[in-house]
Amino acid sequence: MKAATRTIRIEVLRYRPEQDAEPVVQAFDVPFTDDMSVLQGLQYIKDELDGSLSFRWSCRMAICGSCGMMINGVPKLSCSTFLRDLYPGPLRVEALAHFPIERDLVIVMDDFITKLHKIKPYIIPKEARSLSQGEYLQTPEELDRYEQFSSCINCMLCYAACPQYGLNSSFIGPAAMALVHRYNLDTRDGGSAERNPYVQAEEGVFNCTAVGYCSEVCPKDVDPANAVNVNKTEAAKDYFLRFLRPKGAQA
Amino acid sequence: MSARKPYRRPMAGWWKKNPYFVEYMVHEGTALFVAAYALILLAGLFALARGEAAWNAFAAFLRSPPSLLLHGVLLLGFLYHTWTWFNIMPRTLPPIIISGERIKPATITRAGLAASALASVALYLIARIAA
Amino acid sequence: MESFKADVAIIGAGGAGLRAAIAVAQKDPRLKIALISKVYPMRSHTVAAEGGAAGVVQSHDSLDHHFHDTVAGGDWLCEQDVVDYFVAHCTEEMVQLEHWGCPWSRKPDGHVNVRAFGGMKIERTWFAADKSGFHMLHTLFQTSLQFPSIKRFDEHFCVDLLVEDGRAQGAVAINIASGEFVMIEAKSVVIATGGAGRVFRENTNGGIVTGDGMALAYRHGVPLRDMEFVQYHPTCMPGTGLLFTEACRGEGGFLVNKDGYRYLQDYGLGPAEPTPRNKAMELGPRDRLSQAFWYEQQKGRTIEGIHGSTVHLDLRHLGHKKLRERLPQICELAEEFMGIDPADKPIPVRPAVHYTMGGILVDGNCASPMPGLYAAGECSSVGIHGANRLGSNSLSEICVFGKVAGDNAADFARTAKPAPSATLMKQAEAAQARALALVRGNKGTERISVLRREMAETMERGCGIYRMGDTMQQTCDHLEQLRERYKRVKVDDTSSVFNTEWLLAIELGYQLQVAQAMAVSALNRKESRGAHQRLDDYKVRDDVNYLKHTLAVSAGDAPPVISYGEVKITHLPPGVRAYGAAGEAADAASKSKPAGGSAP
Repeated sequence: MKAATRTIRIEVLRYRPEQDAEPVVQAFDVPFTDDMSVLQGLQYIKDELDGSLSFRWSCRMAICGSCGMMINGVPKLSCSTFLRDLYPGPLRVEALAHFPIERDLVIVMDDFITKLHKIKPYIIPKEARSLSQGEYLQTPEELDRYEQFSSCINCMLCYAACPQYGLNSSFIGPAAMALVHRYNLDTRDGGSAERNPYVQAEEGVFNCTAVGYCSEVCPKDVDPANAVNVNKTEAAKDYFLRFLRPKGAQA
Repeated sequence: MSARKPYRRPMAGWWKKNPYFVEYMVHEGTALFVAAYALILLAGLFALARGEAAWNAFAAFLRSPPSLLLHGVLLLGFLYHTWTWFNIMPRTLPPIIISGERIKPATITRAGLAASALASVALYLIARIAA
Repeated sequence: MESFKADVAIIGAGGAGLRAAIAVAQKDPRLKIALISKVYPMRSHTVAAEGGAAGVVQSHDSLDHHFHDTVAGGDWLCEQDVVDYFVAHCTEEMVQLEHWGCPWSRKPDGHVNVRAFGGMKIERTWFAADKSGFHMLHTLFQTSLQFPSIKRFDEHFCVDLLVEDGRAQGAVAINIASGEFVMIEAKSVVIATGGAGRVFRENTNGGIVTGDGMALAYRHGVPLRDMEFVQYHPTCMPGTGLLFTEACRGEGGFLVNKDGYRYLQDYGLGPAEPTPRNKAMELGPRDRLSQAFWYEQQKGRTIEGIHGSTVHLDLRHLGHKKLRERLPQICELAEEFMGIDPADKPIPVRPAVHYTMGGILVDGNCASPMPGLYAAGECSSVGIHGANRLGSNSLSEICVFGKVAGDNAADFARTAKPAPSATLMKQAEAAQARALALVRGNKGTERISVLRREMAETMERGCGIYRMGDTMQQTCDHLEQLRERYKRVKVDDTSSVFNTEWLLAIELGYQLQVAQAMAVSALNRKESRGAHQRLDDYKVRDDVNYLKHTLAVSAGDAPPVISYGEVKITHLPPGVRAYGAAGEAADAASKSKPAGGSAP
């Protein structure tokens, strides 16, 4: 048995810093079978047509988070977006919006890594426990409260979907906020007081204007918009409650 | 010397690039309709304060064709704002768990829309009775 | 060239590399750690592991059971003292991950839940739905962020080790974003770069799994051990090779042929019961299941599709709710990639290359024969997998031996005297020149993709599920030619910034050497054991001549020199590998024997 082949035109926004002053569009005609992803289309270009096309990829199964890009203007993982659904095309591929382009489809994501360090995305134990004491107990219901927020694959689609981040990149942004929320909701964690100053600061949650597109494009149903907006309520509560608390009391 | 030269794309006209953002801008825009209606109500209140003549003039204005047209347009804006507002609402709430099950986003949206419809009907009935 | 002085350099920031880095940081916060990875740590291939990690917790389970499953599963080619250490430390590492926040699936009482896996007597697989590797990797990565002594070199591609006075003393890497080189001096080096499955065509591995670390060590004379043992996972997506976790069967899934028949009962794995019992039928070991598929294909009882023959992984009887809860990613993969809802339709699957049992020769301390060089995880051969890895042992391995490697590398670094920087810089500059030669004035004619495809095809032909002397010989010959042609490899892209074609060319060089070590090791093993099954004159296990580790030592441009090393057998002498009813009968028989050693 052999799969039927069709051809689709892929227009790639290319940017080679050593030769281009600004990005330019280059089109490639790519033969494809029904099970081929956009990523496989790009791999075909790299292998057969132009070895200099650069893009990140690895797992091919939508879990490593490497291959996010704008596909017809929408942030998507190229490994789980299929050419058959975009036929007859042409389709337009571009580096994730709102990030600086390092080269071709590769973005500079140093900013997110810096934010990741800032939010302390690790358990700051509520009460210390030694290995010999075994695991912390956590019921399935307690796990369920934070599990979706722990499913973030750091693919950056949500940042490419957030115009507020595009306009002001100091904004903490959806994915980092989802992780803050994930740890704050974990029954093992007692570190929210350490994380909240950043969350509630000028670059924090109040930059969000509830566009909600971040959650629309999330490939893992993390719903980062929820993490951001629930924390607005929390931040507001914290702000007003501090006036009611006697001086010197703990938050 | 590094040959790196990261390119930043401009943000100008960002909201026109994606239908989702257009919808968002319209949603935000319709908030002005809400504000406009608040001004109309305020004007009515002033008219009431200034006496019967002023109030009658205001009431006559309300019945005039331009005013009806304005109210029609404002109503459409209101409906759109309500619709999109309740659509985004589930994203802003902590999970609501009833007998072990998380309430689905669509249910929250529907409940919100139903509540606003109910409130409108109730208000209308009160107005009728008061009249 | 920019340089950085570290105490411990760790190459690879997947599960093993991160665990090693944390171990060093916790052992002595004064030790500076350079953690080098060609991708951001969360992209490492640990992320794709699905099913879970082994660790004895249930009261009716025991370390002895885990030991037995591992050693028998590995067809007795395991280092039994190392396996002893391993099984004794798995659970502690799993608890450690739990303390660091790993969202393990729970029982209603709040304790961690475990599930069944293939070849396992009692359920002991810790799992986080079917994204266990993803959660372990992100937990380790995020935990590592709290240690200021870990200096990460993300997206830095390693081109060579620095070896001076016969000791590993650092590494040379390309900063991918700029194309500039960095020399990292270190008193000890840990390699944790993962496997090499991409040398095969159809595989479950990510694009980055190219055997870099194996090749780096091998080029400096460190032997690669047991490279012929390459695991085929029995349930993968046709065409792409993407993995459908063994947990599908652990949760009760069936494997059926085109007649809807549970064919595994014909291959000594029965009886076929409605719920597969442990170590029987669908819960048999991976090598046996992949081999059974091959026979079904020969008999014409498979289903033909555009990507070759398949059998069906039938999960329908598990029901929609359980599938969503326990196997959400499997549902997502089947739906998004194949348009199949596993609750409605069976999933077509076939075996694909999954795991390299062999790797850099290290002892139980993760120390290689080269002083100062350590290795952990899939790139290493510490001796727990033997000829066939037991499912869910690899995720435990990266933690247990990641820590061992980190601890020992830290100890080594505390006493080692570094070589003068100037001497190391000379080496680094030579490595830089070699790497740059690929892009500067490249007059090559051989396309990377062509060489890569030929390599993958010849590996699949010669070193697949079943092997024959003559086809293996052809594969060895072909690989030799490919290595020759590789000298004329063509790189179009001569730029510096994020030049991935350049990196692909370097990776291909690594892959060809690793592939050659695999093929030549396979050709020389004249028996059938675990994942190395021959159809010519060597169909059975030969403990007299081949209860030995293969050691492949690089001979430069020539094929590797093969020698053999002893297998450490402490208390479980080689026996018959039996599963299903036969396995239970064998267990009962051995229990009735009087206690006491029976070492050969």
